[in-house]
Amino acid sequence: MSVIQIIAIAFFIYLGSIGSIVGNTIGWYALGRPLVASFIVGLIMGDVQTAMVIGVPLQIMYMGNVTPGGAVAWDLSYATYIGTAGALVFGKGMDMTQIIGLAVVFAGIGGLIGQIMWNVSYALNLPLNRIADKYARQGDTKKMYIPNVVYGQLIGFVCRFIPAVLLLSSMTAVSSQGDFASMIPGWVTTMLSTFGGMMAALGMGIILSFLLKKKWQICVYLLGFVMVTYLNLNTMAVAVIATLLAVVYYVFQIEQKEVQA
Amino acid sequence: MSKKLSKKALDKVFWNWFFWNGCSQQAESMLGMAFGQSMAPAIEELYDTKEEKAEAMQRHITLFNTEAQVGSICNGIVCGMEEANANNQCTPEVISSVKVALIGPTSAIGDSLWVATIIPILLTICLSISQGASTSMAWIGAFLYLLTYPVLTCLLSRKLFYFGYKSGLEGMSKFMATGKMDILTNSMNFLGLLVVGALTAAFVTCSIPFQIVKDVFDATTGEILTDQVIFNADTMLDSIFPKLLPLLLVLCVYYLYAKKKWSPMKLMGVILVLAAGLTAIGYLTGFYV
Repeated sequence: MSVIQIIAIAFFIYLGSIGSIVGNTIGWYALGRPLVASFIVGLIMGDVQTAMVIGVPLQIMYMGNVTPGGAVAWDLSYATYIGTAGALVFGKGMDMTQIIGLAVVFAGIGGLIGQIMWNVSYALNLPLNRIADKYARQGDTKKMYIPNVVYGQLIGFVCRFIPAVLLLSSMTAVSSQGDFASMIPGWVTTMLSTFGGMMAALGMGIILSFLLKKKWQICVYLLGFVMVTYLNLNTMAVAVIATLLAVVYYVFQIEQKEVQA
Repeated sequence: MSKKLSKKALDKVFWNWFFWNGCSQQAESMLGMAFGQSMAPAIEELYDTKEEKAEAMQRHITLFNTEAQVGSICNGIVCGMEEANANNQCTPEVISSVKVALIGPTSAIGDSLWVATIIPILLTICLSISQGASTSMAWIGAFLYLLTYPVLTCLLSRKLFYFGYKSGLEGMSKFMATGKMDILTNSMNFLGLLVVGALTAAFVTCSIPFQIVKDVFDATTGEILTDQVIFNADTMLDSIFPKLLPLLLVLCVYYLYAKKKWSPMKLMGVILVLAAGLTAIGYLTGFYV
């Protein structure tokens, strides 16, 4: 990776993290999603095609990782930008399933660092309360943005950008040491691709825990499952059918309620 | 003369919140500072003396937390109440207690309906578009998501903010009482589950790398057929129920995460160990060479 590429990726890691300057809707919930992150890394690294092959499985795997706040398991932004960049740098000459496995591993490493940095920034933000308190006491409404946006952002930026630059530069330095496709033994890449495919179960399992409210609903989940396995529909087709069924279900419930009332 | 918030001040409150609600999140006041900053333009306009402003600001930097995108309704409601307070029709105590009361329902709706349902569904649709497109056009799904999600969310968030300001707490509770929210959540859940089921089948892979290969004597032709697969674990399992293993793996993860409260990190570790185990089986039995 060139210096400019490293800086650009590190900057997007910051933008996609929780509470960046562009807001959580554009940052964490859009730029931070693996599908989008891989697209951006692809643009920066000049290989959008490979990046998207990585982005789709990474997105599935991290589908369950949505809520910001104390429950963050990984800093998704770190995980996916590092994951895609790592796979693109080290995966030259490997086949696609192996590259995906590699991306999963790098995403794990990135996520771990991201989790640490999230905790650091979470702690560093605490004293800002005193500053906010001071301005509030003075009734200084024009200065309320200082603790929240100025200092909050400064801490957020330092915690995301600097570690990301260090990590990406060391990755670049290591990757220039040799041709990794030939150095990594076969059993490692086999294991990586097995791991990559199985990790998708993590995202699906976690998202199920949000959606399954009643026991019978497991049948709805299985219905979606067999639509693909027995009926050979693709996921887009299922999404369309599901939307139509959901509308019918909605109207049915409304009408039933009106009958009761 | 009664005081009224200008459109400009209200817009400022909304945009402050939309962009910077998560900037200074921490354990003490959660989104409190962000909420205070968001409310500052309204406070500035409603109160005249420094003392009044100080008092109002202080009640808005206290503990506050919600799912911020749907939670913009709280800012709207509080703006309405501050306006009433400036006209002596409300008290600071009521404002503070309403704020606390709003935390629960708005986070619940935001997290379960918007974050845990809408985002995965939209992502799934965009994923499917990426999958369906040719490899050179696969970025289109990502691009669509990057475009539609922020725009739709911003519109919704803004609508909710003004709804909160105009109809206040009564408006919100009236809407909740119609039960339409529950019905909508139910329907979105239904949609989400179908889609997640399809995604499981399409993307999760898990197989047992084990097969028995033998030379078989074909009695009808009298030839010996070499390297015939007479038993393959995956083929056998798939003939019972296609993709049985991936399904069981997902259900296992669900059980451990939802019922046994395992952390995602721990689950990831276990999956890594499982993957290593399966790979080892594959090499030991000669499935991989």
